[in-house]
Amino acid sequence: MSNGTKSKKTKTKAESSGNGNKSVISVCMGTGGIAAGGDKVFARFEKEIKSKKLDTALGKRVCKTAKTGCRGLCARDVLVDVTVPGKEALTYERVTVDMVSQIVEDHLVNNTPVKKWLAKDDYHKFHDNQQRLVLGNCGTIDPENIDEYTIKGGYKALEKVLTKMTPKEVIDEVSKAGLRGRGGGGFETGWKWESCAKYDADEKFIICNGDEGDPGAFMDRSIMEGDPHAVLEGMIIGGYAIGATKGYIYVRAEYPLAVERLHIAIRQAKENGFLGENILNSNYSLDIVIKEGAGAFVCGESTALQYSIEGKRGMPRTRPPQSVEAGLWDKPTCLNNVETFANVPIIINRGAKWYSKIGTEKSKGTKIFALTGNVKNTGLIEVPMGITIREIVFDIGGGIPKKKKFKAVQIGGPSGGCLPESLLDKPIDFESLLEAGAMMGSGSLVVVDETTCMVDMARFFLAFCASESCGKCPPCRVGTTLMLDILIRITQGEGKEEDLDVLEQMSDEINTMSLCGLGQSAPNPIVSTLRYFRDEYLAHIRDKECPTATCVALHKYTVIPDKCTKCTLCIRNCPVNAISGSKDEVAFIDREKCILCNLCYEKCNFMAIK
Amino acid sequence: MSDINLKIDGKNLTVPKGTNIFMAAKNNGIYIPGLCYHPKLTQYGGCRLCMVEVTERGKSKHRFSCAQPVSEGMEVKTKTPEVEKYTKSVMEYLLAHHPLDCPTCDKSGECGLQDVTHDLKLSAGRFKTARLDEPMKRDNPLLEYNTNRCILCGRCVKVCKEIEGVGAIDYQNRGFKTVIGTAFNKPLDCSFCGGCVSVCPTGSWQDRTLKFRARPWELKKTPTICTYCAVGCTVVINSKKNQVMRITSDDDLGINEGNLCVKGKFGHEFINSSRRVETPLIRKIGILCPASWEEALDHVSKKFSEIMDVHGGKAIGGLGSEKCTNEDNYLFQKFCRTVLGTNNIDNISNIKSPSLNRLIQVSIKNRIVATSLEEIEKADTIFFVGADVTEAHPVVGSMARKAIRLNKTKLIVANARNIEFNSVARKDIRLNYNLGTQTILINTLIKIIVDEKLVDLGKVESSTENFKELRSLLKASDMGIRKASKLTNVSEDAIKSTSDLLAKSGKCYIICGKDIEEDPLAKDTIKALLNLCALINAGGSDKVSLVFSRVNNNSQGVNDMGVVPDFLPGYLDINDQSNRKTVEGSWGVKLSDDVSMKDTEDVFDLASSGKIKALYVMGENPIVSYPNGKKVKDAFKKVGFVVVQDNFLTETAQLADVVLPTSTYVEKEGTFTNMGMTVQRLNKVIEQVGNSKPDWQIVCDLAKKMGHSYSYTSPKQIMEEVGNSVPIYKGIENSDLAKEGFRWVSSVYNKSEPVKYRFEISESKLTDIKKSKEYPFVLLTGSSLRHQGTYSRNSSSLVSLASECFVEINRNNAQKVNIADGDMVKIESAQDKIQLKAKTTNRVPEGAVFVSEDYEWAPINNLRVNGYTNIKISKVK
Repeated sequence: MSNGTKSKKTKTKAESSGNGNKSVISVCMGTGGIAAGGDKVFARFEKEIKSKKLDTALGKRVCKTAKTGCRGLCARDVLVDVTVPGKEALTYERVTVDMVSQIVEDHLVNNTPVKKWLAKDDYHKFHDNQQRLVLGNCGTIDPENIDEYTIKGGYKALEKVLTKMTPKEVIDEVSKAGLRGRGGGGFETGWKWESCAKYDADEKFIICNGDEGDPGAFMDRSIMEGDPHAVLEGMIIGGYAIGATKGYIYVRAEYPLAVERLHIAIRQAKENGFLGENILNSNYSLDIVIKEGAGAFVCGESTALQYSIEGKRGMPRTRPPQSVEAGLWDKPTCLNNVETFANVPIIINRGAKWYSKIGTEKSKGTKIFALTGNVKNTGLIEVPMGITIREIVFDIGGGIPKKKKFKAVQIGGPSGGCLPESLLDKPIDFESLLEAGAMMGSGSLVVVDETTCMVDMARFFLAFCASESCGKCPPCRVGTTLMLDILIRITQGEGKEEDLDVLEQMSDEINTMSLCGLGQSAPNPIVSTLRYFRDEYLAHIRDKECPTATCVALHKYTVIPDKCTKCTLCIRNCPVNAISGSKDEVAFIDREKCILCNLCYEKCNFMAIK
Repeated sequence: MSDINLKIDGKNLTVPKGTNIFMAAKNNGIYIPGLCYHPKLTQYGGCRLCMVEVTERGKSKHRFSCAQPVSEGMEVKTKTPEVEKYTKSVMEYLLAHHPLDCPTCDKSGECGLQDVTHDLKLSAGRFKTARLDEPMKRDNPLLEYNTNRCILCGRCVKVCKEIEGVGAIDYQNRGFKTVIGTAFNKPLDCSFCGGCVSVCPTGSWQDRTLKFRARPWELKKTPTICTYCAVGCTVVINSKKNQVMRITSDDDLGINEGNLCVKGKFGHEFINSSRRVETPLIRKIGILCPASWEEALDHVSKKFSEIMDVHGGKAIGGLGSEKCTNEDNYLFQKFCRTVLGTNNIDNISNIKSPSLNRLIQVSIKNRIVATSLEEIEKADTIFFVGADVTEAHPVVGSMARKAIRLNKTKLIVANARNIEFNSVARKDIRLNYNLGTQTILINTLIKIIVDEKLVDLGKVESSTENFKELRSLLKASDMGIRKASKLTNVSEDAIKSTSDLLAKSGKCYIICGKDIEEDPLAKDTIKALLNLCALINAGGSDKVSLVFSRVNNNSQGVNDMGVVPDFLPGYLDINDQSNRKTVEGSWGVKLSDDVSMKDTEDVFDLASSGKIKALYVMGENPIVSYPNGKKVKDAFKKVGFVVVQDNFLTETAQLADVVLPTSTYVEKEGTFTNMGMTVQRLNKVIEQVGNSKPDWQIVCDLAKKMGHSYSYTSPKQIMEEVGNSVPIYKGIENSDLAKEGFRWVSSVYNKSEPVKYRFEISESKLTDIKKSKEYPFVLLTGSSLRHQGTYSRNSSSLVSLASECFVEINRNNAQKVNIADGDMVKIESAQDKIQLKAKTTNRVPEGAVFVSEDYEWAPINNLRVNGYTNIKISKVK
């Protein structure tokens, strides 16, 4: 099977099976969509269409169901796009199985969209403010079908690179575009490729880091699930640029759908001559293998990841030597993030000049963020660098729900920091975020409102780092646990004022002395919350109070006398008899005896306990 | 390798390129704290204590010195306020996590944590402690592991994996809960080399043989040479008040870089054992009774004189010791030859491999023998022929692994058994040949190299003799690779790869093992091996270094010193009149004319046939170790008078008429010669135990009693005489043995001219190893790691560790006769039988079983005959 003819054949096949004559129903089948019931909705659509014989009958109007990747506004799943030929696509939101038959009946058969179920204005506003470059295909193509990718121009960049550009030219283009690593390091991609390309060895490796361990991050997952070929294309181009002989995609095992779709994509890419021996007759060969992770956050670190691929324990190592000189199996290795690779075909197709117009001076291009937390529109967004946080949270995100006030946004996951309201107008780019005490990280943006305890949040992220520490070096292994002990004591009301100084000293020490990024950035949540929310810490320590009433150990239960109806329900149910009172006397909670079990609060029907 | 100039703390230094800052400082007396870095292990960078401030190209940055290679013009500061602040904080974290065991911890006084705490002048910390609460791991008699004290420096894991090649321990869990443990938490099952204890900087790994009997600062540390195998490692004896407490090692002394094995490190309890023979014993009315030295020596001298008068000196036979020093052995043979007037002396290693000494001399003449054991670390190719290095010479195994790890050395292991050797060698060829076909295999390798012209045959022809004859013989031979492969059961691919590799081997280091040397075919096989070595040496551009294995710490020395019937000291042929004249001249005595023939009858044959009436046995237990139990027992029964010199009342001593108590290696001075022909000096550690005396002293006293003036007052004097009269040891009296061993082969090479090798032609005979229906298995024996004779048997911890001698049976064979792993089986030959527990394994070929020779309480020699021993096995109900 020669590669050249095969790709031609598939093109015509795609064209003929194109959507020219068919109505298409696209159902969001990213992990988020499936979690919301997308697979059931999809199945129901198939059933309905079959039963109504819509794929054979009705002459020109033939319907086809399609799976797509994540469209972004996961809060509104299940999202369904209905495209009738000649008309614009209309999106239904929050589709359930019961709604399917009516949509089919009204919209498809009778050509009357069901207005009440269509997505509201803010859905479109959500998308309008974004610039979906990398996520362009997510939500519009079937990630398990390479033809849909190629029809949209997929693998054209690869063709251009292999037929018209030298490896050096590729590196120059990527450098000129100003692409920086999207995994958190922000390292200039072109520079990294250049430093790897200069080493000669019998084997060289290009690795895609799909470990995405940050809690609250699902950007890479969505790309791998929704547009795996973009990642592959970027990797193959990168491999060509550095002279790689083999590629690895390291995907965390907790992403089974991404693993599956990548396997399918690799197989299809091989079948179509975009991967394997003598790609597109260019004499460049690359094979890509998927390696699944085994549940360790630290294996997202570059050198630990390489040890994991080698079958060894995932513990980072010291540098020198840098991985580009001696990495996987001691051979020159270049490691990049999923999103970074996905940007590469865009740069090659549209040109470095075009790309560098997006973003700020030092941070070019777009960045995908996973917007979660106390914000109306949670989901995946892609915005140009330089956009302010305020725009993201309020314009795209729709602001804080339930009329609560914005408190802070945690950027960069457990290695990042939080920014308070005063910094909302900071632009999103690598440098200014670092200045503010946060970091870009991989792109998780967690918005918290006034009901979140910042001390507890810092504790949460620190606990995460402490449990994911690999154990190699004392600052991280022992230091994070010691810091965690102090934080826990503070949340339990046993903190001392010296503790804050100690925490700051330790943060500095752990940051300086840790061997890898996990340890170095583990104190970040503490440093930034101490910087901007020190008063909350002091409240916990001096007043033994949690201002947001989150820290359970600091809860103080009292009866509101005006609301108490003397029903004695709480008195009878208190397991330690801490409540006094009777049918004639208002209930009173003895704080000394109270064990904070929350039972009285739950039992009271009159909201008389706080 | 260019050198780099840099400055550390203002001091100008020049170090080799590639050195890291930590070692650059250490080697020049500048201190940088560190607990995980170890020069003989790969770099880890985990303890985070070695931080320094580095200024390169005008920019200053903090760097971790063990990870940072030096660069030209670099300036390093090891003690800035910032560096101190941060390293102190890391120590604080370590100490917050460490239990406060110092008062009861054995490591106190030699603890890395204590040292660094002191050096950094730490004071009270900021933290409440956060500790693990794991129980102590004590699942074996030698090592204990205290999880709570562990700082996870990773050194033990690396030693076990990189140096020992076992990898029995590794990290478990993650983060704060990380510990070191075994796979699935099974009891520790490794080679027990004690490497983990030697490199552990805290009190986590401990040597249980110390049994808390001394604090580290009370121990006197004396380096000396180990008394077990023929590698000759330097061990550091830790003693307190004339008791040996434990053995440690020193990376900078001797040839073993601080590596030891289970026997060398833990097998010391025999020294102060209560079972030591305390006084001389004389048999009176059938029972051995204590006597004084005066009495005992009188008795012996009288008896010897009687026998000499009636039957002549040659009626007394002497057995020298593979365990005693060169000085002991030299005097012993001199005594036998001059005082007793007998040449009927021998040692067990010569009895087991009668042609070996001669063949070694040939190899030396042709410059094929290695000049030292340590050379293996520089090899490009390593070839173990019939050598089970893992069991017999474990520290050589570690040296080989070093070469493999650092130089990507290639490995070939050839043996009839599928022996174990672990390493990271990328090129690792195993040749498991059929028993008896080893000569065919070697000759086939030669044939392929010649036929395919894998070496420069013209060069070979011009620099050797008889090559043309060899070539025509090979051409005429019908033993091609296909036939050879069939006969040997080694694949054609493997044979071909081996030939290719050997022909272009770079520095090729070959160890010829016991399985070749003690095989009935030894002579032919070794001759073929020499042909192969000469071929590669002459035709390639490279160097072959051949080592002949020896079993015991002074097996080489006892032969060097001439405790053999056919050579005078230094391998001077006793049948050569001029040699005898020279020796007679230097000893001032006329030697007996009764020289033994070169062949067959050894001392015990002569004893059995009545030609020898008395036996003088020094430091050996032939009842258990002579490879024909029946014969040796007969001999002892027949012989009228037996004198045994030993530390313990062995099976042989129990049959003696006089037992003379001797001192062990830590109670005397002297030298041992290892199998790399290096003479190394012992140091006296403790005073003689009980009433024991060093062997040389006893010989002197006995000589004096018999009217000869043996006025040696120290081993040094004896060695001076050796240096003057034994040609191969000439010059030894001038070398500083305290600093470095005397490499006598090197010395010989320096003094002599190379000789043209003469190819010896021998047919590849196919030996038919006879098996009968009644006795369908062949008995194979060999060395074992955990035991060696009397010394390990009297070391309680070793016995506790390995209390059973197993018989290894091939799995398929075992299945056919319905024997399961762990069953008690009876193995029987025509001579005798023994009951042992079975171990089913794939390491033994079908049709053979393997039993170690080293378990004294399971004397397998009782079943053996000359040549191959056939046996049958049956399950014991």
